Amino acid sequence: MSEQTATRTAAPAVDLFDRIALGVVGLSIVTFLLGWTTLFERTGTDTAVAGLSLFTLFGAVFLLAGIGLLVSGIASYVGAFETTADRYTGIGTGLGLGIVGFAVGGLATTILFGVGATGSVLVGLVVGLVVTSGVAVLPEDLGTTFPVGLLGLAWGGLLVTGAVDAGWFWNPPSLDATFHAPIVVPLATIALSLLIAWSGAIVAEGFGSQGRQNGAYLLIGLNAFGMIAVLLLLILFVVQKGLPKLLEGAQFGPGLGISVPFLTKGVMLGQQYNGIFPAIVGTIWLVIGAVLLAVPIGIGAAVFLTEYAEQGRFTAIIETTTNALWSTPSIVYGLFGYAFLVPRFGNSNSLLAGMFVLGFMLLPLVVITSRESIKSVPDEYRDASAALGVNQWQTIRSVVLPAAMPGVVTGVILGVGRIAGETAPILLVTSGQPFPARAPSILGSFRFVATPPFVQNEALLQASSALPYQLYAVITAGVGQEEAFGWGTALVLLLVVLGFYAIGIASRIYFRRKLHQ
Amino acid sequence: MSDQTVTQTNEEQQSNDSTEQRSNSLTVDVETDERLVDSWTDYEFEDEAAITVEDLDVYYGDDHAIDSISMEIPERSVTALIGPSGCGKSTFLRCLNRMNDRIDSARVEGTVEVDGENIYEGDTDLVQLRKRVGMVFQSPNPFPKSIRENVSYGPRKHGDVNVGLLGRLLGNDDREVEREIVERSLEQAALWDEVSGRLDDNALGLSGGQQQRLCIARCLAVDPDVILMDEPASALDPVATAKIEDLIEQLAEEYTVVVVTHNMQQAARISDQTAVFLTGGQLVEYDDTDKIFENPESDRVEDYVTGKFG
Amino acid sequence: MSTTELHEQLKDRLGVESADDSVVTLGAVGALCLLGSAVAFLIGSPFTALPLAGFLFTVGYGLWNHQATTAKALTFLATIATGAILALITVYLIIEAFPAIREMGLAMFTKTSGRMWITRGEEVYSLVPMMWGTLVTTVLAMLIAGPLGVAGALFISEIAPDAVREIVKPAVETLAGIPSIVYGFIGFTILNDYMMENLDLPSSGSLVIVGLVVGLMALPTVVSVAEDAISSVPESMKSGSLALGTTDWQTIKNITLPAAFSGVSAAVLLGVGRAIGETMAATVILGHAQVLPEPLYDVFGNTETLTSLIASQYGVASSTHMSALFAAGVVLFVTVTVLSIASQYIERRMQIQLQGDT
Repeated sequence: MSEQTATRTAAPAVDLFDRIALGVVGLSIVTFLLGWTTLFERTGTDTAVAGLSLFTLFGAVFLLAGIGLLVSGIASYVGAFETTADRYTGIGTGLGLGIVGFAVGGLATTILFGVGATGSVLVGLVVGLVVTSGVAVLPEDLGTTFPVGLLGLAWGGLLVTGAVDAGWFWNPPSLDATFHAPIVVPLATIALSLLIAWSGAIVAEGFGSQGRQNGAYLLIGLNAFGMIAVLLLLILFVVQKGLPKLLEGAQFGPGLGISVPFLTKGVMLGQQYNGIFPAIVGTIWLVIGAVLLAVPIGIGAAVFLTEYAEQGRFTAIIETTTNALWSTPSIVYGLFGYAFLVPRFGNSNSLLAGMFVLGFMLLPLVVITSRESIKSVPDEYRDASAALGVNQWQTIRSVVLPAAMPGVVTGVILGVGRIAGETAPILLVTSGQPFPARAPSILGSFRFVATPPFVQNEALLQASSALPYQLYAVITAGVGQEEAFGWGTALVLLLVVLGFYAIGIASRIYFRRKLHQ
Repeated sequence: MSDQTVTQTNEEQQSNDSTEQRSNSLTVDVETDERLVDSWTDYEFEDEAAITVEDLDVYYGDDHAIDSISMEIPERSVTALIGPSGCGKSTFLRCLNRMNDRIDSARVEGTVEVDGENIYEGDTDLVQLRKRVGMVFQSPNPFPKSIRENVSYGPRKHGDVNVGLLGRLLGNDDREVEREIVERSLEQAALWDEVSGRLDDNALGLSGGQQQRLCIARCLAVDPDVILMDEPASALDPVATAKIEDLIEQLAEEYTVVVVTHNMQQAARISDQTAVFLTGGQLVEYDDTDKIFENPESDRVEDYVTGKFG
Repeated sequence: MSTTELHEQLKDRLGVESADDSVVTLGAVGALCLLGSAVAFLIGSPFTALPLAGFLFTVGYGLWNHQATTAKALTFLATIATGAILALITVYLIIEAFPAIREMGLAMFTKTSGRMWITRGEEVYSLVPMMWGTLVTTVLAMLIAGPLGVAGALFISEIAPDAVREIVKPAVETLAGIPSIVYGFIGFTILNDYMMENLDLPSSGSLVIVGLVVGLMALPTVVSVAEDAISSVPESMKSGSLALGTTDWQTIKNITLPAAFSGVSAAVLLGVGRAIGETMAATVILGHAQVLPEPLYDVFGNTETLTSLIASQYGVASSTHMSALFAAGVVLFVTVTVLSIASQYIERRMQIQLQGDT
């Protein structure tokens, strides 16, 4: 009676069949994770679990899981358990397993018999076709368990018997690469444990449409989990590598105040702690310039397209143009800046050219997000305003734009996060000295002169560094001692960019909540 | 009260509490209407009950959308649910095939028995439930597929009809079975004559009324016992509406039809019994349609059906 | 054409109902100033500032006295400016690429034998190795970003409970924000060494690493765009399927995905565009050898992509060599623009389809 949440989590009758299936899924997810840690060299061939070496353990798990799958498949087929297996496995699953068969068959041929590329591809194709057609016409309970279970037995056997051990390698004659067991075994283990988990998930729900849903959801869920894991690992990794450099020589004391030389100093000879202050300032100015250029033009264009223009050919062309601009590669913007802007801004790389190019890159994003949010302002607002006898521009200025502002601001912040990390255009139009000592001083450099163009700003027309370029400079300078400097820069860059993203996403959530209240 | 509910003593307690609460609130709400108290619970049907609802409460977050409703829906007849918008009649309808599960914030308490089985019990198979309890939606929602594929979608997905490439290759496809199901369903939905020549055209090319009848055919193809209809004619013109209404009356010979409508004339025309929901998710009166429209017990219902309020 | 007619037309254009001549004059002055500054800038004249100041003054005066009309004119100009940027990019790329294309002829895109990239002496510029490198990395990247991206989009829009979605969606967006140079740095310092150590590669840098990293970078684009497409499939259509007693997965496979198919393919196309245009990761990771890998499918070998070619050589290039780099830019630009337009076309078709106008 039932509160719905309670009924969902209520434990179904657990029988042997379920236990085997869940055991298979659980085991394979553990091996899946262990496969990754081995690939990342966190665990290795010398890791022993319960007296077994890691590879033997993998083998044992695959043997067990393979037997489990085969037993459940047969049990369902002979009717020992009640399942809802379909008459046929179907072509979709057949094709999927056929691709696995193609890969396994082809690789096995070339590894075992040294057959060349064409020959093994042919063998692989034959194996794949046989697997596809065989699996497709088998009853579902056999088709989804047997191929996977047999593969598990085979791979498990190779590992347990030591036919593939830590010293195993394969050197394909046509490639320069040699594949050693420490890479091959975890990769194969990861792939196979995914297959087995999928098959086990299908068994756990008793095949049929529910089983297929379970299998698919398991894989899709693991994929989403993987994306989160990649994000976290990347950030943690950069933090771990970069933090020591960032805090080098840093002082946090009551008497001394806070000082972080990495953030406040340039690179100078004879200086105890070098830093990336000029690059930080460069990035700040680039972002400010780009925003000043792109935001007014972008919002203006969005207002015209949404409020004034009749929807037709013209708006369609501009919309296509905007989207094309959005997907234009950054290096192409760089080339454009190099050919068009640099000659006009004193014929040398300059901060101003960088501002323009980044502004151009930001522009389409501002147009697109502003249009979206202006469109989502309900027409009732406009009608209400118009009904009061207010003209169109006043309506836009005092009703439409304020209502659309949250969306615009969010879009701009996210866009800024994107351009702040752009390297390629900076490389072509702004970069100068790789490790500058001083930051550009924009505000102090304005001069009025009697000759055209009358206003001069030396600093704007000079090359500058920026955070992403600084990182690139470390790489081109060659690794070695500078690598720590690079990690420190990478961390600061990441903090800046992710900071923009965090603010952008948080403000979007905030405005959405406010809207729904 | 069925065995299943009796065994669940804990929740039983709870539902008794809520029943009390309900009657309390009712007497407070309609002090002037003394005759109302539980008038409709005495109402007896000639037929067996297809659906029995006991103490059903639905919450959307903190919002109490259905307030402790109990009613029996007799089989092979048309039961109309009427009431002003926001009264919870569509929510109630969606409880009968658990389409409310789609909404994360929705919480359902109470029992709904279809053929004597509580569908809110732990191991209810939603697939089986929805095969037995079909649904037709407010605006026509055919799939962007051919007319034939729309009708045979349910049987195909349930594995009753196998017309895939594989079946054809192995020479045992069910094309004949599919043809029969499609023809039977379209005929039952009074659409066969209009579309028999173009079964492979995209269903989105049909008119609104035809699309809605296609959706009914699609639902019939699964061979349900109960058909739920959520304002099935509200998006249609008068001619198409008349066709749908005729169809509903015909369907009641074989199926149990529960139809939500805000159109009182429609309810009066097509239904055998009518349940009136008023604001707050409460069922105020439930009786033979004639009784409801000619001589309702409650003054509020009388005001509503005569158009004085709502 | 008489001046009055011109005035009338201008008024029409600017949407001025009242016959206010001062507005028209103002518009004409502003337009002239802007045109003047644009021309001055294009020819690289130091006098650009003069007409620009005139334009700014006109705008200021207009905003003060005729706000509505001026604002409308300004938004129109902003729209034109957006379009003009694409036009300028196209024109300048082609102008700069022309010398190299004239010198090399079609061989620039077809020469596959001998040395294909010689920058000194007998200059030879064939883009074939770079195009192959871009193709290989893009294919590898999309093998990762395509399926995983669509699966991620399905998870976010159809499968995840609200609470999980609130975490996964921002996380994927944040993933899109990690700068490519950071990926490149990790690839350069960690992955390159790892590959050399574990695969006994003779040289640092390989296409497979670039493909992997670029795939990871294109992934969020695919997820976001595909998610938009999938969640734009009307709920009524999904309910219709579920009410017939199909499982969620059956509904996704048979109704949602087919209905969103165009949008999802547009997402994949956009992902391809991102992968093709990705510069820094390739530049930093690859070893910059302008040769075709031997055998062609050797993804562990070193070659060059179009983007990394430009980024690694612009500093040492001049005249024809530089022009050849612009030619590489043209190839990139054309490919990505075509992909972008194609994906937009597909998306528009999907919207029409879902509205039932087939």
